[in-house]
Amino acid sequence: MAKISNPDPASTGSGAGLFLTFGASLAALLIGLVVIFAATDKGHAFTTEALRRGEVERQPQVIPDFALQNGAGGSSALRQLLAGDKKIWIVDFVYTRCQTVCTSLGSSFQQLQLQIQQRGLQGRVGLLSVSFDPVNDDAQALRDYATRMRLDPQVWRIVTLASVQDRRRLLDAFGIMVVPAPLGEFEHNAALHVVTHDGRLVSIIDYQAQALALDTALAWSQ
Amino acid sequence: MINLLKSAVLQRRASNSFALLVSATALALSLPPLRALIEQSMLWHMAIQMPLLVLGGWLAMRALAGHRLAQRLARWNRYGLTGLIAAQAIFAYWMLPLAIDRAIVLPLADGQKLVSLFACGALLQHSFARSPVALQLFFVGYAVPMMIWLGFYFTSTDLRLCNAYSLESQVRTGRLLVAWGLALGALWLWAVLRPARSRH
Repeated sequence: MAKISNPDPASTGSGAGLFLTFGASLAALLIGLVVIFAATDKGHAFTTEALRRGEVERQPQVIPDFALQNGAGGSSALRQLLAGDKKIWIVDFVYTRCQTVCTSLGSSFQQLQLQIQQRGLQGRVGLLSVSFDPVNDDAQALRDYATRMRLDPQVWRIVTLASVQDRRRLLDAFGIMVVPAPLGEFEHNAALHVVTHDGRLVSIIDYQAQALALDTALAWSQ
Repeated sequence: MINLLKSAVLQRRASNSFALLVSATALALSLPPLRALIEQSMLWHMAIQMPLLVLGGWLAMRALAGHRLAQRLARWNRYGLTGLIAAQAIFAYWMLPLAIDRAIVLPLADGQKLVSLFACGALLQHSFARSPVALQLFFVGYAVPMMIWLGFYFTSTDLRLCNAYSLESQVRTGRLLVAWGLALGALWLWAVLRPARSRH
């Protein structure tokens, strides 16, 4: 620090000697800009979440198949469930003990359910909640959640993974990161995922933007 | 005379081992078992490990002052211009929430973080030792407000910016970032004003 006001002799030159420095400075500036430009999807995304949404928007992602379990104790494959009624699905990820963000997700889904019922869209758009906590969310927990949220089984289904081992693969496929939080809760990025009946993730939308999610799903259902 | 030399050598050794200690601590935070700290806490990652890396680079370069390497670098870094620009780019990149997430998820990105932030500190020291105050202000005037603004944003937003960390962790990080920003600004002012006063 003591050297701050004593520029060293090598720095006091000027003229031709500065070319090296100007060249190197320009290179540093350009490399810096290119790296930041590339990392932020041309300046559009500063968070992982925004990056993930942009990627999906440009290039729909094929979701791998998973074995699922429902509240009745029955099991099915994710692909089979999605393909069932040729619907477009809006998918969210929850764990049923959740008191924070899933509560908002839950009410977001409740409003979507109401919209779908009122507009008679049951045949075109479905809602699917997937629990990423199969250890705690057994069939009973799923049934309790369904009752608490007043799920209309024609519109909204809740399932969990049949095997805990699939948890990492499921979260990675959808780009969900789950972080342990105080009081035994989890924090996770919450969003509405639009998935086609042939298992492609085509759009990720803010969980508050239900109208946009529904419009997007309807656009894909045509 | 011999005593003076001896104490200079001892001082040098002490500052070298301090540089080593800081850098080793920063590195250890990326390796198990300490890695758990930066994986679970944004504060440990962004407000402790990352500043330690920069400090480690700074101290290492200070230990190299007068060394051939520092002299060779000086030809490319007149007035500290190259170093300040490069350091600013590195600094800006590691302020991106998505870069923080990547360093937690991808080991390669974490390696890039270790190398680039250490280099950032080394370049800053090399540059500050040879740049006029006006040019230093160009860096300080960017980095300090950026840290303070980002810190306040972290403490006030409801948006979880890093997928890897909880909102609570983000708030605590924000507070420490503001503190670092203020401390760095004050330290720079002190360093700039002190020699000016002693010259009169």
